[in-house]
Amino acid sequence: MQKHKQLKIRNDIRELNRVVAFLDELEEEWKFPAHLKPSINLVLEEALTNIIFYAFDKNTENEITIEFETEENKLEIILTDSGKPYDPTQQEDPDINLSAEDRPIGGLGIFLIKQMMDQVSYQRIDNTNQLSMVKKW
Amino acid sequence: MKITKEKMDDGILLFVEGRIDTTNYNEFENVVNEVFKESINQIYLDCSGLNYISSSGLRVFLTVQKKMMSTGGKFKLFGMQPSIKEIFDISGFSSIFSIYPDLETAKNNG
Repeated sequence: MQKHKQLKIRNDIRELNRVVAFLDELEEEWKFPAHLKPSINLVLEEALTNIIFYAFDKNTENEITIEFETEENKLEIILTDSGKPYDPTQQEDPDINLSAEDRPIGGLGIFLIKQMMDQVSYQRIDNTNQLSMVKKW
Repeated sequence: MKITKEKMDDGILLFVEGRIDTTNYNEFENVVNEVFKESINQIYLDCSGLNYISSSGLRVFLTVQKKMMSTGGKFKLFGMQPSIKEIFDISGFSSIFSIYPDLETAKNNG
């Protein structure tokens, strides 16, 4: 049976604490495998941080919708925001074989999402960015 | 997150407990910046209490590593939980950091 839950947050980095609390409840209620929680927490933080820092004009208040859907052995998370068009799936992967001296600082967030999830896809619909991240187990 | 500092005979030992994420990575950064002021040439970081890290935290780790390497110092991590080690592996960080099982091994190597 498909289950669905939704959380709306403001574009404020402190809202990430609410996301973590919501995730704790969700794990309790939906009983998805406990070892997945850190990865789900991580991909949510990376994706939301990008939206909060870069999608909107400074000092404007905006809303981001986080939808969770689960059925059998699958969890899908869909983030929707009305910010500037941005497709994170197009971002180039960092070269993880570089030495510490040559590694640039940053650029890991989207890469971690792509590595930790089974499917990541982006759509621009009705002036909103929609990022879907799917994890199976 | 909680960070404690302890002086050692050959450097400084930091113990970080809890999460390093986008909301608090600057606290961690402030502590390591304080350490840099003391021109320490070896930093040991006890990761056994670290249970979550995101890319914001990883950035600070890489910055510390770069700084220590540029001054000929050492940054040694130990006691890392498997879920954190996994993120280090995925990021390619496992090959650019010195990671040891425990403090004793960290002290006796490299």
